[in-house]
Amino acid sequence: MTTAADVLPSRLGLTPGTRAALVVLLTGALCLALEPVLPWLVKWPDAWTLPATQWVDTVTRWILGWLKPLARAFADLMRYPMDWANLALNATPWPVTIGLITALGWYLGGLRMAALGFLGLSFVLASGYWSESMNTLALVAVSVPLALIVGGAIGLLANEFPRLKPPVQAVLDVMQTVPTFAYLTPLLVLFGFGPVVGLIASAIYAAPPMARNVILGLERVESEIKEAAVMSGAGRLQQLFQVEVPSAASQIMVGVNQCLMAALSMVIIAAVIGGFNDIGWEVLLTMRKAQFGQSLLAGLVIVVFAVVIDRMSGALAIERRRHDPRVVYGVLALAAVLTALFWSRLPDPAEFTLLAPVAEAVDTGLGEFTAANGDWLAGVKNGAMFYVLLPLRIGLDQAVLPFTWGFAWTPGMSWAVFAAGAALCLILIWRGRVTAGLMVLIGAGMLETGIADLPWPFVLVGAAALGRIAGGWRLSLLAVGLMLTILLSGLWDRAMLSLYLSGVSVVACAVVGGFFGLWSAVSPMAWRIVQPICDMLQTIPLFVFLIPVLMFFQIGEFSAFLAICAYAVVPMIRYTRHGLVSTPPELMEAAIASGATGWQIMRDVRAPYAAPTILLGLNQTILYAFAMLVIAALIGTTGLGQSIYLALGKADVGLGISAGAAMAILAFLADRMVQGFAEERRRALGL
Amino acid sequence: MTGTTPPAIACQHVWQVFGPNARKALDAALQRTGGDARAAAAQLREQGLIPAVQDATFEVGKGELFVIMGLSGSGKSTIIRCISQLLDATAGEIALDGENIVGASKQRLTQLRREKMGMVFQHFGLFPHMTVAENVAYPLRVQGVAKARRRERAQEVISLVGLEGREDAFPRELSGGQRQRVGIARSLAVNPDIWFLDEPFSALDPLIRRQLQDEFLKIQANLKKSIVFITHDIAEALKLADRIAIMRDGRIVQIGTPADIVLRPADDYVREFSRDVAKGAHARVRSVMRPVSDLPPGPDDPGLRPDMTLDEALAHCMELYQPVPVHDDSGAVIGAVNPVDLAAALQVESE
Ligand SMILES: Nc1ncnc2c1ncn2[C@@H]1O[C@H](COP(=O)(O)OP(=O)(O)OP(=O)(O)O)[C@@H](O)[C@H]1O
Ligand SMILES: [Mg+2]
Repeated sequence: MTTAADVLPSRLGLTPGTRAALVVLLTGALCLALEPVLPWLVKWPDAWTLPATQWVDTVTRWILGWLKPLARAFADLMRYPMDWANLALNATPWPVTIGLITALGWYLGGLRMAALGFLGLSFVLASGYWSESMNTLALVAVSVPLALIVGGAIGLLANEFPRLKPPVQAVLDVMQTVPTFAYLTPLLVLFGFGPVVGLIASAIYAAPPMARNVILGLERVESEIKEAAVMSGAGRLQQLFQVEVPSAASQIMVGVNQCLMAALSMVIIAAVIGGFNDIGWEVLLTMRKAQFGQSLLAGLVIVVFAVVIDRMSGALAIERRRHDPRVVYGVLALAAVLTALFWSRLPDPAEFTLLAPVAEAVDTGLGEFTAANGDWLAGVKNGAMFYVLLPLRIGLDQAVLPFTWGFAWTPGMSWAVFAAGAALCLILIWRGRVTAGLMVLIGAGMLETGIADLPWPFVLVGAAALGRIAGGWRLSLLAVGLMLTILLSGLWDRAMLSLYLSGVSVVACAVVGGFFGLWSAVSPMAWRIVQPICDMLQTIPLFVFLIPVLMFFQIGEFSAFLAICAYAVVPMIRYTRHGLVSTPPELMEAAIASGATGWQIMRDVRAPYAAPTILLGLNQTILYAFAMLVIAALIGTTGLGQSIYLALGKADVGLGISAGAAMAILAFLADRMVQGFAEERRRALGL
Repeated sequence: MTGTTPPAIACQHVWQVFGPNARKALDAALQRTGGDARAAAAQLREQGLIPAVQDATFEVGKGELFVIMGLSGSGKSTIIRCISQLLDATAGEIALDGENIVGASKQRLTQLRREKMGMVFQHFGLFPHMTVAENVAYPLRVQGVAKARRRERAQEVISLVGLEGREDAFPRELSGGQRQRVGIARSLAVNPDIWFLDEPFSALDPLIRRQLQDEFLKIQANLKKSIVFITHDIAEALKLADRIAIMRDGRIVQIGTPADIVLRPADDYVREFSRDVAKGAHARVRSVMRPVSDLPPGPDDPGLRPDMTLDEALAHCMELYQPVPVHDDSGAVIGAVNPVDLAAALQVESE
């Protein structure tokens, strides 16, 4: 096979891309042809897998056993600040809390922020979830300082000792790809059930963005500013804290903002382990009871917090001007006076049920809506399931059934698909686009087989080929090595299921997001509508996406698919638009001067120029999709996400870590490959 | 520069090579070439290293205004970064007032920077989060000077550079010219003896530049510091310098007075620099004067002085062809000039 694949094409003078496609195609064809004789070529036999999950379990339990006393002591220690924060937030009369947030809003961003703070917290109060919200806030209030200190310290150390920088960056990169639920299982074993797990998990999850931004910010301080500090005779600590850190303040504040948002998101995710009466738990509970009105209300409370925290901490990063402190004192005094005056008559926040009728109305409205439009909704869902998702997952040969499609699949039809693919391939080759032709043929094969049922040698060779083209031999070897680990560990089937669902979602996001990005690029009006939606979607914690899809489509893969798409589409839109609108004006002018029409400019100038940026957007979309895939396990997905979630329920460390690692491997490889392609495009454009 | 007091700055065979294992590579290259700097630099380049400063040797006397000139990338900034020890020189010796500072301890360097050195940066290097007054007072703040004293001294230097009234502005609120004045004020806050200025005026438009140059000369006339001033503008160099060093690709190709540079360029590179300068306005009579014993003056006496520019001198002896005497301030004849030489000196470039 090597002779056929390597010697022949190189003699034909084919590009590496074509050669790689040819090798992949031949591997696939060979697997399909040999399937009847050698079934192990398609499905890796269970007998060949290693009990990796158990090994991981044994090793980690052993390590965790060692760490446990320390961890428990730490947990006991952390209980104090948590209790204090809890007490402080719950004991503070609500008018004072609202006053404080409003005053803070004023100080940071003037009237608009003050109004945002006031209205946001009033909504929380009216929702009746005040004390649950305060419990959540208490967790955030303790975990964020922890994350800021740890992340900041890591950033400073990496800056002080340049040798540390590459390993620290590598660890931060890997941490970005490890799915959120996967942290929780070992922490659960380590710290025992309870809110401390949520606290630690959110601190771990929120520290990396801080560290990243500190490193980036300090790196970006102009060298002359640093030198000016040296020449002023400052000692190292004076240089660092009096000059470099303040000069990097905006970037560091971006880190603080991201840290806050990550902490909030994780605190809410950590609610799945329960044991703490917080707002995330409320969402879960009501979701399980199918009280979608309540669930939506609780979800909106989370969104309100996310928006308030995001906008206020964002103001820290952008605005230097602070607003008149006299207004701050005024607002605080007003709140205090009100509290004192109505002290005896101050209603318990839990008694507020202003919005309960709304929740009920939503419930009944939803009931009526689904009753009236049930057929239509089911039609959408089943159509997508039977005609798109299922065929992609298990292949046309198994998905086409008389029951759904109205006829049964025959081998003849398989041949027809292959023949159509081959015909298209030949046409493309004849028109000089050899690689595209081969890709069509590969696509036809994949459609017939189904992504979840792809023969493992085909996947391995495919990963190797992609790695080779995107990043050279090292990436290629790395890809094969990492994929082999998954294969040997017995998680292959689940990994393929995850790959399928995330792959489908990413393609959908690429198409939809690409379209909206393009539209926003050509029409500023459209962007004015799309931008706030994107901002909103990006602020909403992962968890909340599940509520609306559940309301309309119940538990199942289609709901998961929708939730993933809703979350992961944003970077694709943003980057596409950004790439397209940032074409240098000289290039556009040159094209216009050559007499190109608007669409010709788009196709020949703007799109190629934007390609690296769009690829980076795709990369973000992939990472987002993987992150959401795990969360979506809550509403019914198969694959690694489900394993991670189940492992959490059973405190099965081995499965949790292995499945988490497998997920991280997929995300990591996807990340590296797309980055590689983006880099290659950038080089080709001489950027 | 008498024999007893050491020069303010003395550099001997200073090298700055960028790249991995620079020190070892430089030693090896010097060994192979038997100490030939040019050949060694060429070898280093071949190995992919950057010899940004090669074998620089010069002295700056006390109170002297020493200008370093060269094209972009010729190593000017690097050389003052070596002297101020912002960069650790790869090889060579650097002494300030006779004290060797290569390998000096961190504390000693900090002390030197607090007491002796001031630096103005090419791109200003102002602290964005501090006001003008805080920027200027920062060198005092790190020494723990009390706030009131700091403010007072900052006020002094701020008025010296003519920025009164803008003390509480932030750098982003200032124009380029004002920013550079802040940089200058900051570098003067501790009243240093040695003053480094890295292209302080090149980011400014020509009018402001001329104005700042004049103010700078005025300040220097009062303060009499030892100065290393970097520029890539020959007119600026000729206007300000006591002596000029010309750098090319890391090498110092010529050191001399403005007149030397204009009238006796060491090579085509230097000649190229002074091509567009009106030489007559920079070179002095002294540079073409010869002893009376060589050149007995004729009967005409247009009253030449040694510090007249060639243009002025030529204007005085337009009609003369015989050698003429040159008088010092007391009126005594100290030499003679041939009007033909005057004209020839101005023609150097066209040959
Ligand atoms: N930290 C560094 N690492 C590697 N190379 C450097 C470094 N600093 C300077 N160089 C190189 O050394 C050479 C001299 O740079 P330098 O900044 O001294 O030039 P310059 O004469 O000040 O130029 P300009 O007029 O543009 O300021 C350049 O080729 C530059 O690329
Ligand atoms: Mg420079």
